[in-house]
Amino acid sequence: MFFSKALFKQSMKANWIKWVSVTVATCVMLAIVIIVLGSLSINDIRDSLKNVFTQADQESVLKESAVDGYDAYVSTITFENGITNLTGNAYFPLLKGQITSTYDNNKTAYEEENGKMPTGEDLENIQLETATELVTLIKGFATIPGVGEMLEGISDEELSQFMLILVKTYENDSDGFNSTDNEVFITAVNTTYSQYVYQTAYEMYIAKEGETEESAQAAALMAQGLVAKALVYYSSEGFIYNESAFKAQATNEVNELLQSEALKSFNITDESTEEEKAQAEQYAVAVKVISNTAISTYELWLQEGATKEEAKIQASASITDQIDAEVAAALEELGDMDIYGLIIGSIFYRIAGLLLPMVYVIMVANGLLAGQVDSGSMAYVLSTPTKRRTVSTTQMLYLLVSLLAMFALLTAVSTVSVAIVGGNEFAINFREILLFNVGAFLTMFAFAGFCFMCSAIFNRTKYSLSIGGGISIFMLVCTILGLFGSDVVPSAMRIDQMNFFNYLSIISLFETTTILSGGLNYLIGFGILAAIGIVTFIVGTFCFDKKDLPL
Amino acid sequence: MEEEIIKVEGLTKDYGQGRGIFDITFSVKKGETFGFVGTNGSGKTTTIRNIMGFIKPQKGNVTVLNMDAWAKSCEIKNEVSYIPGEIAFPDLNNGITFLKNQAELLGLKDMNYADYLIQKLQLDPSANLKRMSKGMKQKTAIVAALMANKGLLILDEPTTGLDPLMRETFLDLILEEKQKGKTILMSSQMFDELERTCDRVALIYKGRIVDIADINELKSSTLKTYKIEFLEKTDYQKFKKLKYKIIRDQPQYYQVTVEIDDKDINKMFKTLTKYKVKFIAEIKFNLERHFKDILAKQLKGGEDVLQ
Repeated sequence: MFFSKALFKQSMKANWIKWVSVTVATCVMLAIVIIVLGSLSINDIRDSLKNVFTQADQESVLKESAVDGYDAYVSTITFENGITNLTGNAYFPLLKGQITSTYDNNKTAYEEENGKMPTGEDLENIQLETATELVTLIKGFATIPGVGEMLEGISDEELSQFMLILVKTYENDSDGFNSTDNEVFITAVNTTYSQYVYQTAYEMYIAKEGETEESAQAAALMAQGLVAKALVYYSSEGFIYNESAFKAQATNEVNELLQSEALKSFNITDESTEEEKAQAEQYAVAVKVISNTAISTYELWLQEGATKEEAKIQASASITDQIDAEVAAALEELGDMDIYGLIIGSIFYRIAGLLLPMVYVIMVANGLLAGQVDSGSMAYVLSTPTKRRTVSTTQMLYLLVSLLAMFALLTAVSTVSVAIVGGNEFAINFREILLFNVGAFLTMFAFAGFCFMCSAIFNRTKYSLSIGGGISIFMLVCTILGLFGSDVVPSAMRIDQMNFFNYLSIISLFETTTILSGGLNYLIGFGILAAIGIVTFIVGTFCFDKKDLPL
Repeated sequence: MEEEIIKVEGLTKDYGQGRGIFDITFSVKKGETFGFVGTNGSGKTTTIRNIMGFIKPQKGNVTVLNMDAWAKSCEIKNEVSYIPGEIAFPDLNNGITFLKNQAELLGLKDMNYADYLIQKLQLDPSANLKRMSKGMKQKTAIVAALMANKGLLILDEPTTGLDPLMRETFLDLILEEKQKGKTILMSSQMFDELERTCDRVALIYKGRIVDIADINELKSSTLKTYKIEFLEKTDYQKFKKLKYKIIRDQPQYYQVTVEIDDKDINKMFKTLTKYKVKFIAEIKFNLERHFKDILAKQLKGGEDVLQ
């Protein structure tokens, strides 16, 4: 009804050169961006930066486990030595009796109070409480000769640990605890100790970020293994309690354990190539060196008077921990940045790729109505039985169809380009490239509507162009400036205040980052852009109906 | 009563600062050729734009074929051919493409009449539209408008840019169309071409119709004007005392201009044989003169009012 084939043909004849040149140029640019940049693998730097951080994390984890293992080994030796001293003391049977009675008393008190036997956490609390009471008790007797002797060389911390282990041994294996056979008693204590080390290691690891049940179990098992090794070493023939000797032994044992673990992770079999074997070997040696470094650092810090926690933090520091926190964050962000997605999404589809279609829309929208009214050539159309409404809707249809055809071609070119470059590592997939095209089309649809409305309202080209085209170009420039304040630019280069420009441009409604990050939030922006286009087209059509034409 | 094809009543479009048209009233009857004459900016084109329905009247009514010119603008175009005052073609390659496109817009299938017009105007339509001379463009515009062969022609200064020979051809064409019984509304700055083609001519001055002259009435008038110059002052003074209607007196040349009815002419010639006359000349009827006189009188009247 409101369509004139002759006018549509006339618009096509008048504008096809513009259409062809803009479409071809934009398609070529797009193909170059996708294909050339895709095959240049521009994400290499990003990937290597990412590697630095991953490796640094791995190194840190490795160092931590080395320190933990070393600590478990050394503690075991110290513990064993302490237990040996205790059992050899004349007052030890008395202490055992004290442990039994205090613990039983505490348990009974709990039972009377709660009407049930303590379990789980409550039981552990009672054990801790008992250990504390015992420490106080023993220290009260410290002036008695023999008792003081027993406590010699044992720190308060170690003492409470001893008492806790002894209480636990009594709880787990009362027969072994009460046995007068020293060997049976020591075995019972060592079993409890080993379990205790496993549990504390597991709890410590599981509380850490990024640790799984499995990895915590593995770490706890490793600690337990080292306890066993330490016990073997302690009970080995010719063992003399010499700090530097058992510490050196601990270092060696930990280093070798980690080295063999590393080698195992390579799954080297007889069928593996020499190269693979060499690589695994090299890696394992590197692991050993790192482990050794961590342990020596740890030991040095301890000697300097640092607490165990402080020393551990220092020893497990990786290369990236030594960089300033802000710089490290900036570098890490740079590593996480998707350069390919940035160039295609935020730069091509929102800026570079929009420029030529925008010039096309500005020129053609103006030429379809205002230009013809200004020159007077519209008189030839309107002096024929053609309604004004027919003129405006036909011209609108031409603008939309030509824009749609342009983006259909762009979609085809970009899809083919992605298919050419596309591989497993490729950052852009078909869904994303399709949505980029749809988004860019809707953005241009909104601009087309706006320029068309200006062309319909004004009789003079100069007003239509300066308002319609001026505001459109202004918005594009705002998007360029706003880019430097947007999240896609790494914080090292970002100027947050520049983000203000993004609020001045409707291109901000086309959120390429939202498309890249998944989800459906981009649909809101798409909807608003479509609405802007529809409303402005309708307003333009009505204005053209009502106004005076100087023809 | 004859059918009124165009009826304009009290049409006003005020653009401010004295520009625009004010209270324009006239009508064009079927088969009549109506002319518009006036200086640049006098309001001819504005009036035509109202008739074409391109602009909306502020006051007054414009009807064409009993349809409101603004509301029924599209329906009216079925019966109207229009040559715009300003020549600007759509962005198309050459004249042929333009004419074909125009024919399609008009729903015109038969191009015989267009071919006839092209031949008559010696137009080469294959020329590039942008490189056409002003005259060529005008000819193309004429063909584009007239080829549909519609009953009402609205022509806004159709002869601008045409060379004198082509102008003659065009005026012939208009007379031809007139003979076919078409109604024509035509504006021009040239009195003579309107005088030759029009039945009635309206003079627009500063947005108002000052006078509508009936050409046939003017042409068939029995009143004639003569300019007489005497050799001697005494003869001149004696002649002045006679009761002839002297419309202009130039004593320095002993010259008078006399308006006289045809029936009194012999009497005057007899009188003149007694005097020494240097020359005697008839001042021909002329639309330009007619309007200039009217305008002069109006302006004088205006001044009187002011004083």
